[in-house]
Amino acid sequence: MHAGRAIRRSLLVVAIAGIAGGLVRLRGKGGVPPTVGGWRQLSGPEFR
Amino acid sequence: MTSVLLVGVGAVGDRAGRQLAATPGIERILIADRRRERAEALRRHIGARASVVEWRPRDRVPPGVTVVACALPPGDDVPLVLAALDAGIPVATSGDEHDGIATLLRLDGDARARGVTVLVGCGLAPGLSDVLAAHAATLLDSVDEIHVARAGIAGAKSEASLRRVHSDRAVEVRHGEVVEVRRRTSHELVFFPEPVGAQECEMVGVGIDLLADAFPGVDRITVRAVEPPPRTRGLFAREDPGGRWGATKVEVWGRVGTARVPVVYGAAGRTATVGGTVLAVATAALAGAVVTLAGQHPGVHGLASVVAPTAFLAELAGRGVTAARFEGVPVS
Repeated sequence: MHAGRAIRRSLLVVAIAGIAGGLVRLRGKGGVPPTVGGWRQLSGPEFR
Repeated sequence: MTSVLLVGVGAVGDRAGRQLAATPGIERILIADRRRERAEALRRHIGARASVVEWRPRDRVPPGVTVVACALPPGDDVPLVLAALDAGIPVATSGDEHDGIATLLRLDGDARARGVTVLVGCGLAPGLSDVLAAHAATLLDSVDEIHVARAGIAGAKSEASLRRVHSDRAVEVRHGEVVEVRRRTSHELVFFPEPVGAQECEMVGVGIDLLADAFPGVDRITVRAVEPPPRTRGLFAREDPGGRWGATKVEVWGRVGTARVPVVYGAAGRTATVGGTVLAVATAALAGAVVTLAGQHPGVHGLASVVAPTAFLAELAGRGVTAARFEGVPVS
């Protein structure tokens, strides 16, 4: 009886940890692709 | 006669040797490498102006050398820098590992006392990234944040060193002080110039001491790098990982009048080629063959502290390494 309860509690903890980890990963800090602008090579006037 | 001793003919050293050979004013190039066949191959490519010499740690710098270019793996460059200091000869080195750079910076007092300039971190990042930061700073009234990112490896030794860097605790400049990064994760998606594009970077500490020296009082400085991909072996192994694309992105925040604005620069190219070209231009500058330094600077410095950034970038552009500016809305 005690063993069964412990297993159920362990599974619950693992499940909650998994959900929490997934949420953190989804909401984690990451870049957002630039939607405006781009790279322009430096040229003559910028070297003087 | 301007005579360069080039020590280390790996991916970066080989490219640096070719660039030095194409520099007017460099009249003689002495090439030293533990593997003599690599030095001989570069000598054959350069021709009559080059010769192969023996140099081992604790050896003296050969007589007649005007300037030393060091493309040895990080840490291995210390004996060569000590030998150059003993001989009173300026030296440029491409080492890009935090501990190796810190060791060289501790020789600053000795270098100043002897009136010798030692340029440290002359590669892609640190190196070109420092020059870009210095150029960006010229466009601002004041600088308060610098964020550098790097992708790419410049050879097998560089790959090993970058793996060590990623396993070490990262450092950053916060409120003007170099401090350890205590967060467990510091990953961020960085948008480099194409063809490198978007890459996930992790905070490291490589070259941060050089930036902190060059920009005293800046509130925050971070350096991020892309972790090298898993090693390939056997049939799929790359002989020359430095031939892969690399890039750097430098974001400098500061004020123009009352407005707080960013200047974002980047550059992309074959990693070893960019690193070798930066090392060659820094060496040529020490030899006086190109005018890219802002005066004489005895001591141990990163490029941002000593170069005239516009002239340095123009010299690089003339050799095919061109920087780009991000225009629009910087998002990262």
